[in-house]
Amino acid sequence: MRSPAMMRPFVVPEADAPEGGNAFSGPDVFAGPEYGTARSGTARLKTRSATIKVDLNAMSTVDPALQGIQEDAANGIPKTGTSPAAEAAEDIDVGSESAEARRARFERDAMQYVDQLYSAAMRMARNPADAEDLVQEAYTKAFSAFHQYKPGTNLKAWLYRILTNTYINLYRKRQREPLQSNSDTIEDWQLARAESHTSSGLRSAEAEALDHLPDSDVKRALQAIPEEFRLAVYFADVEGFAYKEISDIMNTPIGTVMSRLHRGRKMLRDELADYAADRGFKAAADATAATESNKQENGK
Amino acid sequence: MSDCQGLGDCDDTRMQRIYEYLDGALTRSDLAEIKQHLDECPECTQQYDLECVIRKVVKRSCTEAAPENLKNAILQRIHTIRPVDA
Repeated sequence: MRSPAMMRPFVVPEADAPEGGNAFSGPDVFAGPEYGTARSGTARLKTRSATIKVDLNAMSTVDPALQGIQEDAANGIPKTGTSPAAEAAEDIDVGSESAEARRARFERDAMQYVDQLYSAAMRMARNPADAEDLVQEAYTKAFSAFHQYKPGTNLKAWLYRILTNTYINLYRKRQREPLQSNSDTIEDWQLARAESHTSSGLRSAEAEALDHLPDSDVKRALQAIPEEFRLAVYFADVEGFAYKEISDIMNTPIGTVMSRLHRGRKMLRDELADYAADRGFKAAADATAATESNKQENGK
Repeated sequence: MSDCQGLGDCDDTRMQRIYEYLDGALTRSDLAEIKQHLDECPECTQQYDLECVIRKVVKRSCTEAAPENLKNAILQRIHTIRPVDA
């Protein structure tokens, strides 16, 4: 029996991702414009629900720490209004900051995102133990590289980028586990920005059916779409990252982000529609039965 | 999907506009234009509603709290790391 996740042997530091020295060597992360067609360097991973094509050329060999320092020095990730005030631009002289002060700053500013990174990691690793390992590894890397993080830039996006790179570089190749779902915690997240538009109020039967899908179906549907699309959709729809932020996190051009979102959302809709079709009538029938049952109960 | 051309002359274009609208990726004037169109067009509104529902169920289903011990495990681990001097 193993002790808590911290003891798991998932330690694969920088040496595991040498420049051009492993199977993932190649150009920039996810850099290709399209992934729908097979080409050299494309591998197929069989999963239970779908054949997922993974572009090996598209994976990063750059350590997130190095990448972080290069990009943050060059342009940084723009800060958005979604970040909490805690990481508001401060006058921090990172160069002269003591180690303890930096650790305190990391704990104060970065640790608040553990739940969010874990949820994202669940979309990558797909089982709780590996998601924990992934998050822990990403935080370790982030802490080690925290002197390279530029205060005032978007810390959450920076952490997501490290998480994504950690996944791509260190983890994905060993992922062969079937999907397990962890507890279905429901939280009330921020609403999408334009949802203030209230529509007719007359919802289609399809929308109604989708709304009643169990969480397990939704997770499976999302899991069934290829990961570069899945992650783009997750970053946009769940985390509410802007295109530019997703582009920084996934290290792809904005146009690629938009095309992945477009295609990913269509794929997701089709998957969900299949589940809804399977369950639609059943859900409606159950609801009717429940109503009837309540009537009988009340009638007694 | 429909014959409506208020948001573009094909389904792809129309959906792209709806995505951008939901993503907050439009200029203020584009935003107003789409909002007005949605107020008037039941077919586009139906597509918009469907996207809203999908986002809602994905958020609902894919938001997991990290296990209790994870945060402590991370804190313990980073305390074993000697910080790098900048």
